[in-house]
Amino acid sequence: MRTVTANDGRILARIIHLAHRFGCSYTSVASEHIGAQYRMEFAFAGSGDALRRLDAQITKLLDDDRETME
Amino acid sequence: MHTRTGAAIVLDTLESLGVETVFGYPGGAIMPLYDALYDHRIAHVLVRHEAAAVFAASGFARSTGRPGVCIATSGPGATNLITGIVDAMMDNVPLVALTGQVRSTVMGTDAFQEVDVAAITHQVTKRNIVVRSIEQIEPALRAAFRLAASDRPGPVLVDLPTDVLRAFEAEQRKPAATKSPECERPRATAQALDAAVEALQGAKRPLLIVGGGTRWSGATEIFRAFAAHIGAPVASTLHGLGCADPDDPAFLGMLGMHGWKRANHAVAKADVIFALGMRFDDRVTGDPTKFAPNAHTIVHADIDKAEFNKVVHAHVTLHGDLRETLAALDHRLARVTLPSFEEWRSAACAPQERLPRDDARHDHLSATDFLDALFAALPQDAIVATDVGQHQMWAAQRVRASHPQHFLTSGGLGSMGFGLPAAIGAQMAHPGRMVVAVVGDGGFQMSMAELATLRRHELPVKIILLDNRNLGMVRQWQELFYSGRYSATALPDNPEFTTIARAYGIEARLVDNANAIGPAIARMLESPGPMLMHCACYPHENVWPIIPSGKSVDDLMEALPA
Repeated sequence: MRTVTANDGRILARIIHLAHRFGCSYTSVASEHIGAQYRMEFAFAGSGDALRRLDAQITKLLDDDRETME
Repeated sequence: MHTRTGAAIVLDTLESLGVETVFGYPGGAIMPLYDALYDHRIAHVLVRHEAAAVFAASGFARSTGRPGVCIATSGPGATNLITGIVDAMMDNVPLVALTGQVRSTVMGTDAFQEVDVAAITHQVTKRNIVVRSIEQIEPALRAAFRLAASDRPGPVLVDLPTDVLRAFEAEQRKPAATKSPECERPRATAQALDAAVEALQGAKRPLLIVGGGTRWSGATEIFRAFAAHIGAPVASTLHGLGCADPDDPAFLGMLGMHGWKRANHAVAKADVIFALGMRFDDRVTGDPTKFAPNAHTIVHADIDKAEFNKVVHAHVTLHGDLRETLAALDHRLARVTLPSFEEWRSAACAPQERLPRDDARHDHLSATDFLDALFAALPQDAIVATDVGQHQMWAAQRVRASHPQHFLTSGGLGSMGFGLPAAIGAQMAHPGRMVVAVVGDGGFQMSMAELATLRRHELPVKIILLDNRNLGMVRQWQELFYSGRYSATALPDNPEFTTIARAYGIEARLVDNANAIGPAIARMLESPGPMLMHCACYPHENVWPIIPSGKSVDDLMEALPA
């Protein structure tokens, strides 16, 4: 299970699409809107290599998400 | 003074961000922005299809390193941008796409020309932003430009509902400061840098592979100094071309599927590989399990951590901006003694015979003969944009780009129709330079309406149309791998391209034999305006060498099987 916080709630959809692209499936997904941000929890199943690639892409998405419209 | 409309804020913000030129096509929802453009200082290039707008913006960005900007209306205008947006994502091109959107109040009702372009582009942009109010316009655009150009560059889409563009700001405000804050960039750790230096100290046959990340980090000069310091041979990916000095005797040329044999053999023999700003694309590695079989250490430097160990396992990873990484490596190398790699370099860089080629019949024109003559004649600072296919690979094998911004090509996505609009974008960015579009008859017919754009803006782009009356690369694969079953690749009914060009008021010349090459190129070099060179080529000339898809250098082919 990985828990992250994002400004853009749509990232969750993007992560799920990526997971399917890498041949993974999600076993658990939850999201909550807290203040101006989204708290997301998810867990995926798949091969070790695919999960490692997915994890790297999620980190990258969250890095880009930090760029806000301030 | 009046308060500004949202559309005026868009243009003022673009201008404050340094934008001088945008490429686009008008339509209903984006009309307020076009109304504001009518008497604005920003130059607008009217293309003839939105796909050309995004490719032109890409050509602008690839030839300058600055974000390119394209504009389209909602619905079909926006969806026509998609291929170019994906293309920019694959090739790390900083791009900002502005799309019109239906009124906020009708979004989600299947209104006329409504499409959820934010959802469509979600997977293929670094970020997209749907602007919901006039107050969000300026911060959204500033964030878009920062994101497009930061770290690993890429496309950002900003969707602008028409009512937001038409709205007036509540009170007059000055544009924010021009300078955007610098993003914090990752830096390779001291431990990783030390490990990379140690790998070089212990190397017997090191090889540097330079990739497109080098161009986007602005590391060309420091890369050349770094390579000279080490004295190892250098191979280049398609997007790395121009980073290494093409006259450097240590430069092996492009590697990969259609790369130079000596470059691929050097990869196979190297014991230490420095992969700099490259992503081990399958066109580079072939079968990744057989890539660099003798390398005990692969050092991978990249700005994008997600690239590490994605395709090829790296023993040392240098996560950071390549310019800073190379500077830090060079600083460390100055304090150590490296072994001499001269013997290895001399062996790897032994002069190679000509690229293997098919001999055209004496009464036909060879496309490769034409390109050999073209690249020998072009000025050193000429910018060459290619389309996609055989001509692209022939050009990549032969081009002598002295800087990576001089060779523009759609590498990752391989988008036909890219070449001519990319050349238009580059010519707008560099009005005094020679810009050449090398295209095939397939790709040119996907974009030849842009002849009108050349004429309208008096852009002196030279088009080299290598017409073999086939979708040549697919035809080649059908010949090699599909038993000669030529399904849907013959184009015997191609039009008279010179007549078409002349109809647009563009000078055109037919070249159909070897003797005509020299005079034609001489005329092209002296022509002050746009020109189409229709080269009627031998139809069955193939690109050699080729490493078949998913194979290794051991399977390299230099001619048709006997």
